[in-house]
Amino acid sequence: MTLFDIIFTGSEQALEACKALVEQTIKEYGEDEKVVFPNTAYSLPVIYAATGQKIGTLADLKGALGVIESLIVKEQNLEKALNAGLATAVAAEVIEACKYVGGKNPYEEPCVGFIPDTVIRSLGVPLVTGDIPGVAVVIGEAPSAEVAAKIIKDYQSKGILVTLVGKIIDQAVEAKVKMGLDFRVVPLGYDVTSVIHIVSFAIRAALIFGNVKPGDLPELLKYTKERVPAFVNALGPLSELVVSAGAGAIALGFPVLTDQDVQEVPMNLIVQKDYDKLVQTSLEARGIKIKITEIPIPVGFAPAFEGERVRKDD
Amino acid sequence: MSEDLKCLSCDAATCSLLEKAKKEKIETVWDRAEAMQPQCGFGEMGLCCTNCGMGPCRIVKVSEDGPKKGICGADEDTIAARNLARAVAAGSAAHSDHGRDIAHALYYAAKNPESGYKVKDSQKLISLAREWGIETENLDEKEIAAKVAELALQEFGKPFGHLRFTERAPKDRLDIWNKMNVTPRAIDRDIVEVLHSTHIGCDADYRNIMMKATRAALCDGWGGSMIGTELSDILFGIPQPHEIEANLGVLKEDEVNIVIHGHEPTLSEAILVAVNDPELIELAQKQGAKGINLVGMCCTGNEIAMRHNVPMAGNFFQQELAIVTGAVDAMVVDVQCIMPALSQVAKCYHTKLITTSPKAIIPGAIHMQFDEARAVESAKRIVQEAVLNFKNRTGNIFIPEIKSKGFVGFSNESIISALDGVTNSFAHPQGTVKPLVDAIKSGVLRGAVAIVGCNNHKVPQDKGHVELAKELIKNDVLVVTTGCGAYACIKEGLMTKEAANLCGKGLSTVCELVKIPPVLHMGSCVDISRILLLLSEVAKYMNVDIKDLPVAGAAPEWMSEKALAIGTYVVASGVYTMLGVAPQITGSENLTRFLTEDVENIYGGKFHIESDPKKAAQKILEHIEAKRKALGI
Ligand code: SF4
Ligand code: SF4
Repeated sequence: MTLFDIIFTGSEQALEACKALVEQTIKEYGEDEKVVFPNTAYSLPVIYAATGQKIGTLADLKGALGVIESLIVKEQNLEKALNAGLATAVAAEVIEACKYVGGKNPYEEPCVGFIPDTVIRSLGVPLVTGDIPGVAVVIGEAPSAEVAAKIIKDYQSKGILVTLVGKIIDQAVEAKVKMGLDFRVVPLGYDVTSVIHIVSFAIRAALIFGNVKPGDLPELLKYTKERVPAFVNALGPLSELVVSAGAGAIALGFPVLTDQDVQEVPMNLIVQKDYDKLVQTSLEARGIKIKITEIPIPVGFAPAFEGERVRKDD
Repeated sequence: MSEDLKCLSCDAATCSLLEKAKKEKIETVWDRAEAMQPQCGFGEMGLCCTNCGMGPCRIVKVSEDGPKKGICGADEDTIAARNLARAVAAGSAAHSDHGRDIAHALYYAAKNPESGYKVKDSQKLISLAREWGIETENLDEKEIAAKVAELALQEFGKPFGHLRFTERAPKDRLDIWNKMNVTPRAIDRDIVEVLHSTHIGCDADYRNIMMKATRAALCDGWGGSMIGTELSDILFGIPQPHEIEANLGVLKEDEVNIVIHGHEPTLSEAILVAVNDPELIELAQKQGAKGINLVGMCCTGNEIAMRHNVPMAGNFFQQELAIVTGAVDAMVVDVQCIMPALSQVAKCYHTKLITTSPKAIIPGAIHMQFDEARAVESAKRIVQEAVLNFKNRTGNIFIPEIKSKGFVGFSNESIISALDGVTNSFAHPQGTVKPLVDAIKSGVLRGAVAIVGCNNHKVPQDKGHVELAKELIKNDVLVVTTGCGAYACIKEGLMTKEAANLCGKGLSTVCELVKIPPVLHMGSCVDISRILLLLSEVAKYMNVDIKDLPVAGAAPEWMSEKALAIGTYVVASGVYTMLGVAPQITGSENLTRFLTEDVENIYGGKFHIESDPKKAAQKILEHIEAKRKALGI
């Protein structure tokens, strides 16, 4: 299968899952049931930012399925592949939104799920000033808990905000990595779709700090690419769904790095099998330069990176 | 601008000067083409033979009762194939003789300080020396240069073996050539063999004739042209990306305008040195000019544009019109694609047409022989002649204010170093074509197409090049270009960063990341050898043959025998090749079918003829997608 076909397949899977879940939720709660994420003024942020449309009820949500469908056009070119990636992102948001229907709180410790606006407002400033030099989205499963901990701590020691999705959360727990916002290590959830919570974080940053108008998709993508220094580490076997979610990340301007055999895309989809180099590879890929001085690190890893630099640091 | 001029050319500068020419009753190539109508059908179909004193003979296809055989008994297949083979041999001869001159210049650089030639890129010299098995350890640069030049010169007539550069082709390619017995042996020999075989009473088998024509063509691409390009880089430097101006608007009203036209950088590089000579600049100022403005035309223009900041004044169909501006004080020419009509046009203005090569003398022109053994000195004499002509200008000057900018200078070396810019230093090797291969394999780029060749009155000037290029880049196909196609593209603004707006998302992303325009100027016609090498590199990296790659070649407005040689070696190198003008072969259905269908089973490449650039683009895109499918990418 071509890389683009893998993406299209993953997006179609996301769409199918989405359709089934929305239908089932409607069956359970009725079309007029409210759809909200807790503590946000941006409705379903991904859909709102991309289309300008606020989702109020399950009926609206059903209507939004058309957006996903229209983004999946199976033509072999980058534009369509990136759109399909965005479709997966929207689908993920829909799926995650369904989890919250009926006032449920679907996430429990250590996972945080949806990130409220207040957190974005408080983290946004250090993100813009570079005090948080980057956002690492680590998805999947490292070969061992030690490797997982080493990668996470390495990012953490550089002041980078690390978000975790999937089995890596258990690995972090096993390795006794201290987690929580204060430690800048945030487990999102176990389902791949929970990755949307960090995407929605980036997107709300664009709305809040970048004054991007909801519905102005090109401007949104430009902002996230230029201003939100996020990147993805996809570890362990990659499903079509993960690959297509990765395409969504690439559409937002976030490079994807993986330890798996995939067809590389220069600057955007990079294979790094040497875990000792994953962090440096990621930082270079996102063009992140670490300020050597005075990084506020809550844990004692500071000396570990003294004198360490991104090699391509012009 | 009147509508009928518009369909002669897509270029606004050309159209406005055509009006001036018309007003001043200057005959141009278009007038002569019109006077020639209708062109002879026998020649057009390739069915006229004048190869012996019993002829001329012609094969009549339109009626039952006309002759179906020449007096010697040669049929349509034989005659058409012989004609084509001779054209290919001539094209190969032109490029190869050019390569020979460059090799001589390298020899002068080593042996004759008075020539003024020097090795500019010793690293490239040394690596070529090593490739050719020259022991470089205890030799100084000049000794190495002499040895390389000698080996290069031997390629033209060595008695045994095959051309050294064929070793650069992927192994599968070499196997095909060996099997078909077309692996080029020695350049002059293989060209001579075509002339021998096409003599009366020799080869009458059109396939066998084409086999020899193919071998002669491969002598060009993997021989003469490649020698020309590689040694030019060694002598004059490897082109690096930089921005320059193009079109006739680069002529300057208040400076001495020298147009250098032709092909060989041995002359143009020396002229470039001469125009920067303080004494000559002073002389120009004494004549009332602000300075000396050197601009290039056709391939020699490409050569100095690629390596220096010399503007590209115009392509093949603009040569007469440059003089029509009334602002050209001298047009200095060497060999190839120089219309003899120039001397007539020059007579109507003050322009001095100066021929420099004993291989190309034009009645009515001033001949100032360029002496390569004393290159700079002879170039200075020529420039002086131009400078002294400034005062003879009349008031009849019109320089259209039309010029554009673009980035040129994309040698393979500079492309690879641009590609290094998108590698990750912790994950990837440097100095390879990997990023290009990844972009293609992932589908971000669908493929790559080379648009090359000339202008031809049978299609509107530049339209074939430009429209084809635009269609392709819109569909995420990277375009590389050389020759007069490169002029068309730069004039249209396709070599700017902004041209990324005309691209599909994939190609525009690549342009942005790699910091290149979507259409890459790779040089002159001999520099198509760069494209062969790039294809080989990519094929080797992907572990496939050139024929498997999602690529194509196109010569939308070809006209010269060189273009036929190029097309032939490109097809024999495994590339699908689009011609915008039908070659003179259509009188033989067998030969036509052979070249447009059967050869694909042999070489993996074939010709396709389509004059509508949109349809041509469609065919090319289909071809590219089919190749991708076969590769599973
Ligand atoms: S070679 Fe044959 S076909 Fe050609 S001119 Fe002579 S007799 Fe006629
Ligand atoms: S492209 Fe054609 S016309 Fe132009 S210089 Fe080359 S051979 Fe001559």
